[in-house]
Amino acid sequence: MNIRLGNADLARYPFLNEAAEYMSQTYFNLDDLNLPELRHIVERASNRIRNEIIHGKPDYSLERHEVEILTFLVGILIIKAINSDNLTKKHCLCEALRAEKFLVHDLKMQGELANKKLLVFKVFKELLKMDILPSLKYQLMFEVKVTDYLKRSHLFHEQEWKLINRLVHDGRVFLDPDETVRLIRSELANLLFERIGQMNPSHIPTTIREQANILRSILPVAPRRLDHAPSAYPPCINHALDQMAAGENLPHSARVMLATYMLAIGKNIEEIVSLFENAPDYNERISRYQVEHLAGERGSHVRYLVPSCAKLRNDGLCFATSQCEGLINPVQFGRAVKSYSKKVSV
Amino acid sequence: MILTKTGEDLHLLKIAFREFYFNQGNMVEEPSKIQNREFGLMGFDGVMKRHLMFSSLGGLVASLIFETPSDVFASNAQYDFPTLPISEKGWRGAELIFDIDLKDLDMKCIRSHSYASCLSCSSSYVSGSQESCPKCGSNNIAESMLPCDRCVSGLKNEVLKLHRFLTSDIGIRPEMIGTYFSGNNGFHVHVLDESFNDLDSRARADLAAYILGVGILADAIGVTKDTRNDFRIRFPIGGLDHGWRKRISDRLGISVSSQKRLSNLIKDLGGLEQFRRRVAEITRDMGVRIDSQVTTDVHRVFRLPGTLNGKSGLTKILCTDLNSFDPFDESCQLSNREVTVRVTIPKLKLRLKGERFNLNEEFVRVPMFLGVYLISKGLAHAVRLDPGTGRFIVPASTP
Repeated sequence: MNIRLGNADLARYPFLNEAAEYMSQTYFNLDDLNLPELRHIVERASNRIRNEIIHGKPDYSLERHEVEILTFLVGILIIKAINSDNLTKKHCLCEALRAEKFLVHDLKMQGELANKKLLVFKVFKELLKMDILPSLKYQLMFEVKVTDYLKRSHLFHEQEWKLINRLVHDGRVFLDPDETVRLIRSELANLLFERIGQMNPSHIPTTIREQANILRSILPVAPRRLDHAPSAYPPCINHALDQMAAGENLPHSARVMLATYMLAIGKNIEEIVSLFENAPDYNERISRYQVEHLAGERGSHVRYLVPSCAKLRNDGLCFATSQCEGLINPVQFGRAVKSYSKKVSV
Repeated sequence: MILTKTGEDLHLLKIAFREFYFNQGNMVEEPSKIQNREFGLMGFDGVMKRHLMFSSLGGLVASLIFETPSDVFASNAQYDFPTLPISEKGWRGAELIFDIDLKDLDMKCIRSHSYASCLSCSSSYVSGSQESCPKCGSNNIAESMLPCDRCVSGLKNEVLKLHRFLTSDIGIRPEMIGTYFSGNNGFHVHVLDESFNDLDSRARADLAAYILGVGILADAIGVTKDTRNDFRIRFPIGGLDHGWRKRISDRLGISVSSQKRLSNLIKDLGGLEQFRRRVAEITRDMGVRIDSQVTTDVHRVFRLPGTLNGKSGLTKILCTDLNSFDPFDESCQLSNREVTVRVTIPKLKLRLKGERFNLNEEFVRVPMFLGVYLISKGLAHAVRLDPGTGRFIVPASTP
């Protein structure tokens, strides 16, 4: 597939190889970032990262392509200079979310602008080695190979992503534009993370280092665990906490498990909300609302129970050990450990 | 199931198996990239040797003649280093394989041809007729089964259902599907399309759930929860033309143009919850009874095609035409020379290698293939004639 990209396309997808080629044609030098003319770019990239740290949200604003490509590049340099795995993951997820919005928009294009879809197909094919085709039968639906779908869908724990709940025919899964792009969000984020890891700039310009130092000072401190001995937590909860500590993007079902469990063992809302601080998409307001909702303090005022071991097994969240034998719900684990310790101490 | 076999039984089985690999070693199928497969050889003592590697088919067959295992397995996975422990093997993908076993089919006829063998006194009787051994009262019982034509027909129906799922839904070309009789009570369906090889076990679990018909949401056919009216119907954009959506809508007798009919149906059933249950029942009923654990395991070893099954003495064999395939004939490859066995079950009728056998006597001369079949199933023991007395020597059971 040979598709010519316009400059506006590079602005939306600055991670494509063509954007790097564009930069090399401009004879850009890293030290140019110290020039006052490019000060606004450095600040723009820095603000974008600040917003990601504080609000956990991507910046969807779109400037002309020169600005966007440089902002993307400077952003990566700042991230590289800060050198925090958790922040890098958060930044990559935000960049992926930003791209996701443009990809969905382009996939929905019709009429004269329908050729924008070709660009999306290029992103899927070149970056993710995945073919997508517009469905000839259903308008605004796209077809992906069953194998491509299965390789990615298991990352989602929601039942609706199970193959059985999809329209499947002749080796193809039919998806709408949002679902098509959603399928690759985490993969795109991982790809960016890998690329940043492999990037080895000759040096970091002074302005970038300054911005990195400022941003480093507002980074949240490493997530703290609750005052509970780790052995008192069941392995599913420990696994989720470890994932969270590593800055991984936990699925919704795992977050529900974690929050309901902590509520069940008597932790307060503050403590639980702070647990999620390290999530790449952390937003204090949303996290608080959701934990309060699970605690029965909002919405239907129904307190949610900890999902059963069977449900967790089904959702791929169970990491049972021999200590879990005979348990049907993770909350029993703490009691079992307590009663065991009591027996031992007697 | 380990059935107690006498030394004489083991001697006869080993002779029969060695003879087979010596004379019909060409039946053993060479797996692709043989040097990257892990092999497992099970001895007649029930001990499995795993993490073996063979670089050629000739070397494998020579080993089978020399060691004479009861069962031969090869990994569906390919590894960089097949002989190392699992974590160090270097997994390079695994063929997608489905297992359909009689035990999962709930066939009504099974009780009538299932047998219990007493491990204490070696007598056998029709399973289910007694809790403990009618002869010695022991509870030390092993069960075995001789599948009947109805069982085979039930298995074939499941395999054909699986073929339809794989071709019509999953898009696998029919020539990329290899169907094998396992040599005992089931079929193995191998997907030869390599694009499925790099699916991990979670992806395979999702595919297995699709084929089993597990995990359906009523939302998939457009019925969702509504806080005001219990439910709401909005058919999905892709309609109900294909896959599970079509199967469910056909069974319910609905289409995208019959929203009212679907609405009445849900009300008649008693509401959304009952409708959800009904849909789940339909998918479970229409799904294929595969063993999902087999499909999702990417480090498993499978019986190698063209080798003998130690539970029956029959061969795992490719079915080129499933409809006309007769497992009791085509997979029976052992020799016809006669051996003497003591049958432990009175009045046994069965068909094997195109012949019908009516076994009414305790001591009978039967062809090797039948003798091995009965001994493997725990329904007979090998005996030999004492040249001095002219009487049969019945060896005691080995522990």
